[in-house]
Formats: sequence, C-alpha cells, structure tokens
Amino acid sequence: MIFVCSLVLSIAAFGTRSPTTLGLLSAADALLLLIARPGITFLKRAAKTILWQAGIISGLYWLRFGSYEGIVPGLIISWQLALAFLPGMVFVKIVPGDRIVRMLSDILPYRIAFIIATCLNFLPLLLAEIKSIHEGQVLRGAKILPKDLLNPLNWQDVIYCLVVPVMIQTMNLSAQIALAAKARDFGIAGKRTSWPGENKEQKNKGTTR
Amino acid sequence: MTEILCFNDFSYAYQDADRQVLCGVKLDIHMGECHCLGGATGSGKTSLALAAKGLLTDGHIFGTIDRCETSPGSGSGMGIVLQNPETQLLTGSVGSEVAFGLENLGCDPLSMTGMIRTALQWVGLEKPLDFDTAKLSMGEKYRLLLACQLAMNPRLLILDEPTAQLDPEGLTKLCRIVVELKKNRVALLLCENEPGPLREAVDHHWHLDADGKLHPGPAPDVVRSQALPSVSRSDTLPGISETALRVSDLAVTDMAGRTIWSDVSFFLPRSRRAVIYGLNGSGKTTLIRCLLGFEKPAGGEVRIFDKDPNPSTLRGRVGCLFQNPQRQLFETTVFEEVAFPIKRRRKGDRELTSRVYETLGLCRIDDLADRSPHTLSYGQKHLVALASVIAMEPTLMILDDPFAGLDPKLAAQVLELLTSINKEKGTTLLLTSHAPGSMGDWADFTYTLAGGKLGCN
Repeated sequence: MIFVCSLVLSIAAFGTRSPTTLGLLSAADALLLLIARPGITFLKRAAKTILWQAGIISGLYWLRFGSYEGIVPGLIISWQLALAFLPGMVFVKIVPGDRIVRMLSDILPYRIAFIIATCLNFLPLLLAEIKSIHEGQVLRGAKILPKDLLNPLNWQDVIYCLVVPVMIQTMNLSAQIALAAKARDFGIAGKRTSWPGENKEQKNKGTTR
Repeated sequence: MTEILCFNDFSYAYQDADRQVLCGVKLDIHMGECHCLGGATGSGKTSLALAAKGLLTDGHIFGTIDRCETSPGSGSGMGIVLQNPETQLLTGSVGSEVAFGLENLGCDPLSMTGMIRTALQWVGLEKPLDFDTAKLSMGEKYRLLLACQLAMNPRLLILDEPTAQLDPEGLTKLCRIVVELKKNRVALLLCENEPGPLREAVDHHWHLDADGKLHPGPAPDVVRSQALPSVSRSDTLPGISETALRVSDLAVTDMAGRTIWSDVSFFLPRSRRAVIYGLNGSGKTTLIRCLLGFEKPAGGEVRIFDKDPNPSTLRGRVGCLFQNPQRQLFETTVFEEVAFPIKRRRKGDRELTSRVYETLGLCRIDDLADRSPHTLSYGQKHLVALASVIAMEPTLMILDDPFAGLDPKLAAQVLELLTSINKEKGTTLLLTSHAPGSMGDWADFTYTLAGGKLGCN
C-alpha cells in the first residue's frame, strides 16, 4: 500500500508544475509523513537535503537567467524534485530492506533483484567508508573541509584525495561482496528458491522460481 | 577417516603476478579434524582458504584439489567465513541472511524457517528473524555468518582470521561452537596466527612461508604479547608537564538518542603513551572522532593542546591512523604517498626528499619507494599508511586498533616503530585495542571502555 502511494505521489510530482497542484501534492506528502512516522532524525535530514538542493538549483537558475526570471522557476523545480523524491525516501526508511528485496524478487529475475538489494544494503557502509576516508585525509593535510572548498584551488583535492580512494574502495567492496555471495553458493543451483518470510511461510505462500 | 579435501601439489599465481602465492601445497583434511594455518600477513592464507572453497578461478593454477562428493542440493559442502563481517552480510535481517544460502541451494521454502532457527540456536544468536543486522555487534555478526554457513550443512568450515575481529568474549563463544562442530564430524580449517583459546581444538598446525610453501607445525613467529616486555613504559622521558589531551565528562548518544557511553574523563600528558581497551562495538572509534572534532558529543568537553578540537587546526599537529588505513592510499608511488603530508606543510624539495627517505627507512620500506601502493600486500600497505602519518611529525598520534589483522611479527615491528618515535621525537601516542591486556606494560596510562563508562586501570 505504502509502495503504491509513494509511487503515485512521486510520478504525480514529475507530471505537474502548477503551484496549486504542487501545493496539493505537498499536503498529500505531509499526510504520508503523518501516517508513516519516519522519525524526527529522518525529518531533519530530509529537510537539510531539500534545503541544500533548493539552494543549489535556485542558485544555478539565478546565475543562468538572472534574479527576477530565474529564482521563481528555480524554486518551483526544486519544490517539484523534493516532492518527487520524498515519498521514495519515506518508503525506503520505513519498509525493511529485506521486505523490499522480497517484493523485488517477486517481479524481477533474482540476479537483478540481488544487485538492487545489495546496492541498497551497502549504501550506508559505503557512506561510512567515505566519511572515514574524508576524515583521514583531512588530518593528512588534504584541503577538503567545507570551508576549504570555498576556494576553487582546493577543489582538485576532492578528486585527488577523496574521489580516487573512494573509487578504489568501492571496487574493493564490490569484489568482497561478490566473493561473499559466492561463498554462500550464489548461482550454484539451477533453480533458486525464495524464503517467503516467517509469517508468510505459515500461510503456505512459499514460491519456487 | 573419510577425506573431505585434498590439495595435490597445488600451486597458484594471480594474473599478472610475478610469483606464485601458493607453491606445491600438499594438505589432506579428514572429517572432524581441525587444522590451523599460520603465516605472515600477505603470505597467502586467504588464497589457500579461497582455493579450498573453489573460489580461486582466475589466475594460473597448477596441481589439483580433490573435494568429497556431495549429494544433489547440498551445494559445495564447503563453508567459508571471511575476515570482515561487514562486507559479508548481504541482506537486512537475521532471518533473510541465513535464508540466503538456503535459497541458493534451492531448499524448500516451507522448511526454511525451522532450518534458520536451528542454525541460530547452534551459534547462540537468539534474535527475532526480522532483527536488523546493522544493529548486531561485531561478534554477533560473526556468529550470524557462522549460522549462515551451518544452515547449509557444510562438511568443511573454513574460518579466515576469526580472532582479528572478535573480542575475548566472542572468541570464547566461537571456541565452544568449534568444539561442537568437531563432535558433529565437521572438519575445520582456521587461517589464524594467534588462535588463542581455539588452540585447544586444533589437531594439526601448519604454516605458510614467504614462498607460499606449506610446512607442518605452528608459525615460528613470536606472539605479540611475548614481544612486548622489550618495550617498556616511557619512564625515561621528562616528567609530566603539558597536557596534550584532556577529556571531561564526555557523553555520546546514538541517532535514536540512546547513550553509547557517558562520564568519560581522562587526560594524556605530552610525550606519553596511553591505550584504551574496549570490546567491539564499545564506541572506541566514536571516542576518537570526538577527540578530533569530527563528531559532536552529547555532553562534556574535549581539550586538545588546550583548545577545542577542530579538524582544520589539528592538521599536521595530530596524526590519525583509522582502522584499515590502506583505504586512504591514493598516490601512484609509495614515495609520493609519504611525501603528500609533507608537501602540504610546504617543506622545500631537498628537505622533502630526505624526510621521505628517512621515514621510509624508519618503517623499513625504503625498498618500496617506487612501487605503486595499490599493488602491495596488506601488511606493506599498512606500513605505508603509517609512514605517511609519521612523515608529518605530528605532536600527537591517535591510532584506532592499529594491530587488527596484522601478524605478530608485523605487529611487533609497528609497535617498535611507535615506541621509537615516542622516545626519540617525544610524540604523544594514544592507541585503542579490542584485545584487553594485549599491550602489556607498554602504556603509561591504560583505560578500559566498557558498559558505557571509561575505567582507569
């Protein structure tokens, strides 16, 4: 149910630009947040993300079209983007990862479902890796703190000291994940089955694919 | 006894490698036996474990490996748990994690829940099946991975460096599981230098030498705790004067507002050494991040060189070696990697070259200066990362579990290096460790982080 609601709200946000419809969609999103109750920490983070993207997009529009012609369309686009992504963020927050995987594996080939699920599961680990690399490099002298980046001369440090090691670490992580899957005989059997979950099993809804 | 696995003169070289990592390995493993394989960091223990499981497919293979036949639907019959639990948990909940292997074997979905529960009981992990794997401690994650393998009913279970990530409590539990498995005729291959309490369950010891040859008997390296008495406390240094670090009533909460630890207070005078022990998940890394100003505590105060911690002002003065420091390497040569922090302090070219070679010499890796850091072994990368921190000549060095994953010989080398920079340059050292008491008398100040509080030993 929550999946359908999130999907409909996201698609609707892409399909409209009128302030009235966007206002109605905002009300619907607020209702979704009330029902889903994703928690105060989530709300703070979502608000921070939305404010950042609104600032960046409006700023780019202002640079391109000037203050009068650019700022209003920029704000509308960023409002639209926020409404498009917020329902998805709520969905991923409140629905456990393995339930998303089981849903996906019902409609997708299991290898593709596995790849999507693994990406979802390993995102927090990758973010933690990026944070740790960032902190280590700052102390080694890399000028990649937010205030350092106000100087464009320091931007190359982001590529050099952060992006390169993160890329290498991402490749290492991918190799380790693939190895971990093979260590549990992933892909060995011709037919893979799917655990329906503790509760569904009792209802005899096990599937073989 | 029935033979489970047999290496027949097996040799292996990775693609594009100039030498064989395994050379003429002969090894027979029978049902119910426990074999322990030691060897220096990077000697090829993990490669041998992967070969046993059949996961070394690329590269150049000579000789054969015979595995016992398994019945249809029971998979390869070989289970393997690799070193880092974080990268092996593939799903979001305990039940799904154990089910993953069973699904791969094509087991009947309706009988899976029972099999999952049995495996979890076996390892003593009695959590709800929908329990979030991210909320498990490192020891619990390791036991979950064991359960994942046990559910698949293996005849041989391979454990790669199990003690590297487990604290003593986790190790004791693992020891009980290993004994039970042996009783159930499951064979075990432990790739481990310091088996600790697992030693009692081991029937055969082996060690891999630097040429990839397998020899009977335990690895000849001394254990780190035996190497320690030669490096004693920094008693010869001048008396306590300035304080490098002072922490008062520090408290940290998680995202849900629960307290991780509180009332943490300690101080560290300049040129002294301190160790903070703490089991996995006790919050050692979080404490380090608070000390460096990367994390805001929920309460209390940190004073570092008598100022509030601020990463931008600590650059160059404080060197930090986080866990798995190899991941911060990015330059094309070892020389450039070590030169990077010196360049950032704007030293002249002549001083730069001499300082880099001096640091490389100190770390005994001067022969690697022109090599790419990405092609080095695990231990060599660790030394390069350490050299790049030492090269800055920091006043204070903070090292997060710097010996995890290192063999005793390399760990002793790192310890000797840290001791020498402390004695000769007066660098203040703060280390954390997951193994209580492992540093012996080395430190001037020893603290233990447990039960959400910091105790002074």
